Amino acid sequence: MSESPALATTTQANIQGSDWAIDLAQVAKTYGRKIQALKGISMRVRRGEVFGLLGPNGAGKSTLVKILMTVIKPSRCEGSMLGQPIGSRAVLRRIGYLPEHHRFPTYLTGAQVLDFYAAMTEVPRADRRKRTPELLDLVGMGDWGSTRISKYSKGMRQRVGIAQALMNNPEIVFLDEPTDGVDPVGRRDIREIVAELRRRGKTVFLNSHLLSELEMVCDRVAILVHGQVARQGTLDELTAGKERYEITLAGDEAPTRIESALPGLLRLDQPQGELAKRVGARGELAGGQWVEIDHATIRVGTTDPATIQPLIDKLREHGAVIRSIRPHRPSLEDLFLEAVGEPASEPPPNTPPNNAANNAGKFAAKNGGAA
Amino acid sequence: MITQTIALFVDAYRELNAKKLFWITMLLSGLVVLVYAAVGINEKGIFFLWFKIPTPVPIDSTTLPPALLYKQLFQALGIKIWLTWAATILALISTAGIIPEMISGGSIEMLLSKPISRTRLLLTKYATGLMFATLQVAAFTTASFIIIGVRGHVWEPGLFLAVPLVVVFFSYLYGVCALIGVLTRSTIAALLLTILCWCGLFILNTGDAVLMGINVQLQARHDGYDRAISKSRDGARKLLTARRAESGDPLPDDHALSDEELLEVMPFLSLAFDRRAETEQSLAKLKPWMKAVYAAKTIVPKTSETTSLLERWLVSMADLKAQARANPERADSGLDTKTGEINLDDQEVKLRAEEAIRARPVWWILGTSLAFEAVMLSAACVVFARRDN
Repeated sequence: MSESPALATTTQANIQGSDWAIDLAQVAKTYGRKIQALKGISMRVRRGEVFGLLGPNGAGKSTLVKILMTVIKPSRCEGSMLGQPIGSRAVLRRIGYLPEHHRFPTYLTGAQVLDFYAAMTEVPRADRRKRTPELLDLVGMGDWGSTRISKYSKGMRQRVGIAQALMNNPEIVFLDEPTDGVDPVGRRDIREIVAELRRRGKTVFLNSHLLSELEMVCDRVAILVHGQVARQGTLDELTAGKERYEITLAGDEAPTRIESALPGLLRLDQPQGELAKRVGARGELAGGQWVEIDHATIRVGTTDPATIQPLIDKLREHGAVIRSIRPHRPSLEDLFLEAVGEPASEPPPNTPPNNAANNAGKFAAKNGGAA
Repeated sequence: MITQTIALFVDAYRELNAKKLFWITMLLSGLVVLVYAAVGINEKGIFFLWFKIPTPVPIDSTTLPPALLYKQLFQALGIKIWLTWAATILALISTAGIIPEMISGGSIEMLLSKPISRTRLLLTKYATGLMFATLQVAAFTTASFIIIGVRGHVWEPGLFLAVPLVVVFFSYLYGVCALIGVLTRSTIAALLLTILCWCGLFILNTGDAVLMGINVQLQARHDGYDRAISKSRDGARKLLTARRAESGDPLPDDHALSDEELLEVMPFLSLAFDRRAETEQSLAKLKPWMKAVYAAKTIVPKTSETTSLLERWLVSMADLKAQARANPERADSGLDTKTGEINLDDQEVKLRAEEAIRARPVWWILGTSLAFEAVMLSAACVVFARRDN
């Protein structure tokens, strides 16, 4: 991706106000008397970070963004965006926005779309003329600027949509499902654009279902479930205490080896002899790290390789054949599924990860198997 | 603010430009102009191209000056039929979707997320809808101005009053269309309900015109009886004076002839008295209906009166009276003593009707109609501003 001069760097020198680009408290939205789309969202987004908002369908992600964009009126809202109260129209000049399911006038060309929406953001004509070709190039649409939108594929419309969101050189860019309908190459390009925006000090607020995409680009995420923030923080913060080592044994006799090797090392939660027969049998090492045994796999709640060495020695002594030993960090998808299964409640620290697996199972069942 | 307004108008122009219907309407406007450019008048009569048009009464350039003919053709064919019916329907079809499409999902988010108030956005979009009508009428009027100049030898800048008048007329309907568009978000509903509303206005206007026509007829008849009775009164007085002189009971000079005395001398006038009384009764019966229709019209847009204002300004009453006088087949006004019927001069009645129409003040026609439009737009703005999109 080429660097675009259309995107001026936002530096601390031209930032006014607090470090928070978005600072929300108690944002609520009730439709009619009964449907509570948002139940008091409190959320903070730092300036210059890429923030990901994720959640299942109907969680209220787009509603929240639309409230910030003044498209929807909140039932209750405290907080600010770029130092201005939520709902201020003036601040919208400093914001870029790509809505989900956007619909551009099909009689316009790509360049005209950029020009029109930039004019609506009151970008001077000279700047529009300068930025339009630069941003079309940035999103890989340089050769399509004079072609009507009606002839674009969905992915091309999405690229033009991202370009229009950047026409006013915004301080915050809201991208609602930016990779929707975009092919893998396009998705990679969009990730690179987001990375470039971060490099230039822009704040990027991403709404996406594609968790792997968010994981690759986001500094911090919030998981929205049933109109509430279930989790919020950096990936490190969210996965703290959930990292583990997984030791997998080979051979049919693996459970027997585990049965004979581990009792001396573990304080078991269940009677001896039952250890390897039950999936999810649990215990604790002398150092307090949790251990979970799942047939031929042993999971240990630690990030320290020294902790698992005695365990490996003991297994080897009892003739176990070790197929693999690998450190495991929960993915964003794991966190998401865990949050979806357990809305708005933080799990206690050091909770064994089988809860996540169980919760994922519940979610899949609720949603017809499509998590 | 100006950047946004210009952007919305440029966008509306691009949208119109992309619509085939816009250019079809332009083309049809050109054809209408050509049709009445093909009409000619000279001392031999009226012609369409080379063919003489038969008329019930002889019409030629001595009874109808060419300038007046073209102005009346412009008003009757160009404005009253083409612009306020056919072209208006085409304009409504082209523009009914502007507001519903703007507030549809995927489109409205793009606009509301910009620093523009909802009210200004809606009103500017409304104004861009009027741009369609403005461009159409401006093009048509310019072509007509040239035709009337070349064919009628009169360069009449007053013709351009058609532009604001027809746009104002269209704006009444488009105000209704905007409100329905905001309420239903449906182009079809906005179009059909606006046309339905327009039909309602047409029925009300037609009712008003019929009542006004009956009223003018009755009034003319009543005045005719008054005139006939008044004229007979002089003759009757002479007869009665002679009779009294013969009988030795002379009539005093200042004696006012009573109706009984009049009928004593001229018994055939009893029919005229009866008919005049009937006419008075009919006028009294008509009055509450006329008041009711007038009251109803006060709160709704006066579509036909608005476009008729052009005729009021282009063709003076003096022109119309001169045209009526030049008509050789004017019926004589007078009383048929055998039937008691009054013979009305049709031209006179037409002039009276025109005077009655012109007696309605411009402020009432435009002011109350624009007030209706303002109510429609205010309601649309309130609904749009309070709604979640």
